[in-house]
Amino acid sequence: MNDTWPIVAELDAVRRLRVIARSTPGTSFAEHLVDAPFDRVWGLASDLENQLPLMIGDIRSFNVTSAAGERLEARARSPLGMRARFDVVLRPGWCLMQSRFVVGGMAAVAERDGTRLAFFGGLRLPGVRLAEPVLRPLLAPLGARALGRLTDQLEGHGG
Amino acid sequence: MRSPSPGPADQADQADLAPLVRAAQRGDALAVQELLDLLTPYVGRLCGPIALQDGPDATQEALIVIFRGIGGLREPAALFGWARVIAVREAVRIARAAARSVPDPLDGVPARDDPQLAADVRDVLGRLSPAHRAVLVLRDLEGLDEHSVSALLGVPEPTVRTRLFRARRNFRKAWER
Repeated sequence: MNDTWPIVAELDAVRRLRVIARSTPGTSFAEHLVDAPFDRVWGLASDLENQLPLMIGDIRSFNVTSAAGERLEARARSPLGMRARFDVVLRPGWCLMQSRFVVGGMAAVAERDGTRLAFFGGLRLPGVRLAEPVLRPLLAPLGARALGRLTDQLEGHGG
Repeated sequence: MRSPSPGPADQADQADLAPLVRAAQRGDALAVQELLDLLTPYVGRLCGPIALQDGPDATQEALIVIFRGIGGLREPAALFGWARVIAVREAVRIARAAARSVPDPLDGVPARDDPQLAADVRDVLGRLSPAHRAVLVLRDLEGLDEHSVSALLGVPEPTVRTRLFRARRNFRKAWER
């Protein structure tokens, strides 16, 4: 019978990011169907050095300092000058990153004629699970805001 | 007909698993991602035949339950066995919630018009109840014994035997139709 059990449920990148977002307290998640092809959307989204400062108000600069395969290291600086080191995993359609205090990620999959793009981000602090009811109203809009800034970029580039 | 259960050793080296689980328990998102890479094919292989068209939903929900609860997993080596319990439970729950289950026995359930379609395994499985698909997956795909299936599904062993008998009979009946 084994040879005739063909059904393996696949999990695309956006669903994978949903899993991480919904199992990580203190984070915000948003997704949007973008009317642009995957290559164009991901080409822009994965340009972390240029896009993250535009998407996230707390990042003034984001510089990749080393790369080994899909693993990157980066230094981020906040508008107030605070620095953080980020570990990043970057694959086609998938980006996950974390610093000591922050976690975030993006995912994209081709869907119909467009691309489903998802963003998640938030705090990585001890006790954040307990503080989540208080933090949620503050964090909830972050994902949609960051995603909106990226899709604005796409539209700004003619899409 | 039956192959050995794909145990943790097939999925990941146990020695590598413990630090990953411990890191995920401390809130390391990159460790969670690595565990997701390891667990997703396994959970998808369990959820797919049980939840059928809702397999991706079931897999997603099962993994959310797994990673929300991973902080309580004391023994990292138990990860795959623990994940299996959650995957099967979520797949049955979602398949039932989708109201796509059919009552047992299958007598009177019409076959599809196209006999070639009727020979499709997905079609045949679709005419079994989620509980029967679960017992078939655990016994015939996972290779678990009746005692383990009983413990995993939370039903007595005689119930497992009855379900398995009916599920196999119905599978053959639908397959030969």
